Amino acid sequence: MKKAAFGFYIVLTIALLIWGYYQAIYVAPTDAMQGELFRIIFYHVPSASVAFVFFAISLAGSIGYLSFRRGNPAFAQMSDAWALAGAEVGVVFCTVVLLTGPLWGRRAWGIWWTWDARLTTTLVLWLIYVSYLLLRRFAAGPQMQTLAAVLGIFGALDVPIVYMSNRWWRTQHPAPVFGGSEGSGMDPSMVPAFLWNMGAWFAWGILILALRYRVERQQQKIAASEAQQALNATI
Amino acid sequence: MDEKAILDHQFVVAAYTITWVVQLGYLAWLAFKWRAQKRAANRSARKAR
Repeated sequence: MKKAAFGFYIVLTIALLIWGYYQAIYVAPTDAMQGELFRIIFYHVPSASVAFVFFAISLAGSIGYLSFRRGNPAFAQMSDAWALAGAEVGVVFCTVVLLTGPLWGRRAWGIWWTWDARLTTTLVLWLIYVSYLLLRRFAAGPQMQTLAAVLGIFGALDVPIVYMSNRWWRTQHPAPVFGGSEGSGMDPSMVPAFLWNMGAWFAWGILILALRYRVERQQQKIAASEAQQALNATI
Repeated sequence: MDEKAILDHQFVVAAYTITWVVQLGYLAWLAFKWRAQKRAANRSARKAR
């Protein structure tokens, strides 16, 4: 039953991604100002949204680990696995944002990159979570998870700064399309394509987040089993 | 199609391709890790026996 539900979810996600692509390329009208180039928004913005949500999951996992590591170690390990999965999949989506953004910028502004507040804070966010992953990969010992959780919490503080950066400061990056000042927004004919792609990328993100979580839980079980075997061998 | 439209189209194709390369590359890495882990788990189980 569980396998069937998972299979159905995979099929649904693939269907959503295909439908989202069709909507973005063939259904959404060409933008009056930017022409075809505007279609990058259908991958760029959903990727940023998914990255933000997954960094929030990582934050929740990090807080959960720090709160329960003494009282409820089993729950703390689960929280830690969510923290890692959220950070890693968030980095994947943030990488997409940082690669598709300059492509859009090169054609729209004539430059690949500028050190404005939105771009710089996004790069800093990516660097913080890459350092989080490197810490988890190379640090050893019982304190590694605690240090990673602390870094994960500090890293998440950058998310609202990235989100608000083009509201607080004048940036080369355009003002927010949604939730911006008066007059902002998207032409209603483009909204369905945008929402389909938002749904599709969230579905894909949840899928790989669940897979990453499962892999990490399995890793924890192997590590615990090996530790137990080593302990048995010494007795 | 004028030159601007062709270039715009190429940039859109590049952005979509990069997105898929990153996402599918990560999925492949995850599958590789999963397979390696399964082998490690089997080895560990055999050792325990």
